[in-house]
Amino acid sequence: MLKELYRAALVTAAAACFAITSLASFSVSAKGVYQSGADFFAEVFAQQQAESKILWLTPEIRTQAAAIVGHPVRGLRIRYHQSDKKTAWILEEIGKEMPITIGVVVEEDVIQLVKILAYRESRGGEVRYPAYTAQYKGAALQEDYQLNRNIDGITGATLSMWAVNKVAALALYYHAVVNQSSATHQP
Amino acid sequence: MLWHRRLGLSTFVVLIFLAISGFALNHSPGLKLNQINLSSNWLLSWYGFEVPVAEGFQVDGKWFYQDGNKALLVDGQNAAPCTAPLIAVAQTTDGVFALCANGLNLLTRDGQLVEQFGAIDGLPANTQAVTVLDNRIYLTIDSTAIDSTIIDAVIMEFNAHTLELKEADMAPQALKDIQQVAVPLPEPLQKKLKEQSAGPSISLETLILDLHSGRFFGQFGVLFIDLIGLLVCILSITGLIAWMKRR
Repeated sequence: MLKELYRAALVTAAAACFAITSLASFSVSAKGVYQSGADFFAEVFAQQQAESKILWLTPEIRTQAAAIVGHPVRGLRIRYHQSDKKTAWILEEIGKEMPITIGVVVEEDVIQLVKILAYRESRGGEVRYPAYTAQYKGAALQEDYQLNRNIDGITGATLSMWAVNKVAALALYYHAVVNQSSATHQP
Repeated sequence: MLWHRRLGLSTFVVLIFLAISGFALNHSPGLKLNQINLSSNWLLSWYGFEVPVAEGFQVDGKWFYQDGNKALLVDGQNAAPCTAPLIAVAQTTDGVFALCANGLNLLTRDGQLVEQFGAIDGLPANTQAVTVLDNRIYLTIDSTAIDSTIIDAVIMEFNAHTLELKEADMAPQALKDIQQVAVPLPEPLQKKLKEQSAGPSISLETLILDLHSGRFFGQFGVLFIDLIGLLVCILSITGLIAWMKRR
């Protein structure tokens, strides 16, 4: 009888430990797809009619884009959505080893929204919190194609942060290219 | 004395080997033995590593294959990010379509990446194949994930310009018959791939350690070295006895 009880207690304890650790690991992991592209565009242009357009990456655009992100840019074309002077982009940039999918909305050469759509690393996912991405609202591009403001970092998410910074600057650049407005603001 | 001689003669080769390998292991950090990597096929298969033959798809005279890491290679050139496996490759008059685990890569006929179409853009999960028939692109989606009552696959036609998908009235079998299967890459490409990528390997330190302990030859190797150890003890004792006798 005692043996049975003991065994039952052991099994229950083991099950509890397993449940706790699996719950704990679920909450710690930042990996996931948070929003699809279609949903992102639908949300961003909820009140407006937006067109899906293509930006062809000419050698000049590709060179400047490469300078902004610090590595060659892949692909011959980029899709974006536009309504009036507002454009929305979905761009990818590698954090540490895996790509982060980031949605950026630009209006009048200034960032309106940055949103992490998919995060694939096991660490550094804090960049997806609105408190972090809200810092990009209002940012513009300087003469040197850097953002015109300092973004406060998050400990342990430096590489992810750099990826988001690059994508924000890139989206501003692409927006300027498609609107053929001056690419840079005075800081 | 007689036994000492017999034991000595029968074990001296092994003992010299053990001394040399022991010396090497003692100075392994200095000799950087763990940084010397060996990857010959016979050694890897002896250790039980399966060295998969690199496979790919030949389309339009070009070889499309995954590099074992994160890239799609076209005749050795890094063309696009591609998470293994490279599932299928198909071509139309406009371009080539390479389906990887992370999404569909749209490439020009020269193998240059045009854009990627992934899950976030609307590529259905469980896309199993990309096939071209009459210059139209079809994606085969395993529908068991969508509805477990449907056992047949769902076929969708893909528009490479608008990235739109629509259901196609197409029998999965019709596409299955024309789907390309991955085939082993030609030798020169296999060789180049091996040189470039970091496949499995055994460090020299591991090899020497396994030879020294006998583990290289399995259980019997270990027993053999145990026996040698025992014989060394007896050798020492017979040597001591012989010395004492001579005194």
